[in-house]
Amino acid sequence: MDKALEIKRLEVSFIPAGKKRVKILRGVNLAIGKQESLALVGESGSGKTITARSVMRILPRSMYLESGEVLIDGTDVRKLTENDLMDMRGRLAGMIFQEPSSYLNPVFTAGSQIEEAIKDSEFNLGSSPLRGEDMVGVKARISRTERKKLVLKMLSEVGLKENVYYQYPHQLSGGMQQRVMIAMALINSPELLIADEPTTALDVTTAYGIIELLKKMMTRYGLSILFITHDISLAANFAQKIAVMYAGKIVETGPARDVFSNPLHPYTERLISCLPERYKTGERIKVIEGHVPDFNALPKGCAFHPRCPYKKEICLYKEPGEITKGTTTVMCFKYG
Amino acid sequence: MKNFLRRLKRTNSLSFYSLWLLVVLYALAILADFISPYPYDLQCREYALCPPTVPHISVPGRKLCGPVVYGIVVVNPAFKEYAFDSSRRYKIRFLVKGPERKIFGLLKTDRYLFGVEEPGKIFLFGTDLHGRDVFSRVLYGARISLSIGIIGVTISFVLGLLVGGISGYFGGRTDTILMRTVEIIMMFPFFYLMLALRAAFPPNLSSIQIYFLIVIILSLIGWASLARIIRGMVLSLKEEEYVLAARSLGISSFRIITRHILPNTLSYTVTALTLSIPGYILGESALSLLGLGIQEPYPSWGNMLSVTVGNLRILTMAPWMLIPGFFIFLTVLAFNFFGDGVRNVTDPKNW
Repeated sequence: MDKALEIKRLEVSFIPAGKKRVKILRGVNLAIGKQESLALVGESGSGKTITARSVMRILPRSMYLESGEVLIDGTDVRKLTENDLMDMRGRLAGMIFQEPSSYLNPVFTAGSQIEEAIKDSEFNLGSSPLRGEDMVGVKARISRTERKKLVLKMLSEVGLKENVYYQYPHQLSGGMQQRVMIAMALINSPELLIADEPTTALDVTTAYGIIELLKKMMTRYGLSILFITHDISLAANFAQKIAVMYAGKIVETGPARDVFSNPLHPYTERLISCLPERYKTGERIKVIEGHVPDFNALPKGCAFHPRCPYKKEICLYKEPGEITKGTTTVMCFKYG
Repeated sequence: MKNFLRRLKRTNSLSFYSLWLLVVLYALAILADFISPYPYDLQCREYALCPPTVPHISVPGRKLCGPVVYGIVVVNPAFKEYAFDSSRRYKIRFLVKGPERKIFGLLKTDRYLFGVEEPGKIFLFGTDLHGRDVFSRVLYGARISLSIGIIGVTISFVLGLLVGGISGYFGGRTDTILMRTVEIIMMFPFFYLMLALRAAFPPNLSSIQIYFLIVIILSLIGWASLARIIRGMVLSLKEEEYVLAARSLGISSFRIITRHILPNTLSYTVTALTLSIPGYILGESALSLLGLGIQEPYPSWGNMLSVTVGNLRILTMAPWMLIPGFFIFLTVLAFNFFGDGVRNVTDPKNW
């Protein structure tokens, strides 16, 4: 397997209490190679977070995976039992979140929370498909002192001092909290890290530090990263690949440089032209007219057509398929 | 622990001193065999309902002297009238020798903290209807009354937290079944359920058996309302982001409930815990009062008080019979203040 994460035709439905079900992911295709980073870009409500949470299988109760495959390092997470899922989370893939302050438990010290994330190797033996040859026979439980040593080492890896071990989340700054989250996610050295808008709640300089840390961890640990953001310039800066999401579909994927300098999909093009740094002072910034469509009443045909300046007749009734153009894959009738 | 005490003192000194009061009360209970001058069942029939004998360190006419008690004179045995004769003085001695006892059934001792020269008597809190020393009985009774709250609360809180936590976290059918069970238990009036449960067991049990029976009965009733409140809190806490984060780290449901959700209910639980200890002490009293609890001659604060209930004559003649009630009051108050302080200190947001 040369892919760290592969998502194929993933569909997720949302069932509001007593209402008709709504599809919010409508066939997502995504692939991240080993030691590769991919940024998932899109507006709020386009399904970025749902995609990430589908990978970890931690969707809200009202949502469920309808069809498709989610392969982490070749293991289909849809086929795993609850026990195997527990084993998978943290070991195969770790996740960090948007608002670190609320994702840390306020009543425990940072150290004890990182320590808790450490998995004993003997945990869940049996017929789990996660268990490779190298895992057989590993039964050692890590002792308390070893656990603490491991946590302290991890803390210095993420650029924190040892005393953070004894501190409670509210005594840490936002950037430090996010570093603690990263330490928690990486302590079992998974191959895949899902970062769900890790810098959105942080100010710019702190965010820069976190981005640099993620880059460093990527090379040190051989990580693959699924980086979710709504900031396309950050995405282009951080990731090797970009996937643009709109209304539950990936409308454009390709190498970051190509997508950013030569966007193919009208939505990507508009998104980039919205960036304020492209304008002189006093000049009026172009915006994308209209709103993200309501999932209850998606437009027929291409979901973007009501806001698209290039729309053709075919866009109104037919959904575009994937078209490969150079290094980029795009879903638009503009290209055939 | 040291840290905890220092913070407790700084944030809430009242609760700090309450803790010390509780420590003293528990120490008195444990060391009852050493401290009490008389055994709890020793009857001095000629001195029934005798008022407290106050120790004196100065005597009329002469100035200071060692601590003494005056001799008791029976004025009218029918109406239990007593007087103290200051001409007959008996020295109070410390670490006196007496018949051998075992401290808490473990340590042998033949010396008690204090006593008085024969034939003098020392009744610090007076005597009861049978002429037994109330002070000694309060100390022995503390063993029952102070431990019944702690043990009962422990059992019912473990039950309540687990059931509430499981019910709230998993929801669905589990929740329905558990909550309907809780409602059935809550449906019965507390007192009658207690009586019914007690009545279901044979009446002629030993004191120790009765003691454990009462603890179990009280805690089987007590957990239901707690489970309901905890369930409500868990319902909202399980939506917290750190629960999601814990799930994304692959932590098991049981661990999430016990490690991430329940500790966040601590500020409520600790207060509820300390507030419900008095309920157990009073519940035991109520059972004892009806003759279903701890049996005479073994004392508990509840059954010592029960003599005074409905008997106004004893109350006016011998108000010192209410002293066990004062101790219940003191304990309840100390537990409440202590609980208050613990809540402040254990909440890391308050530091």
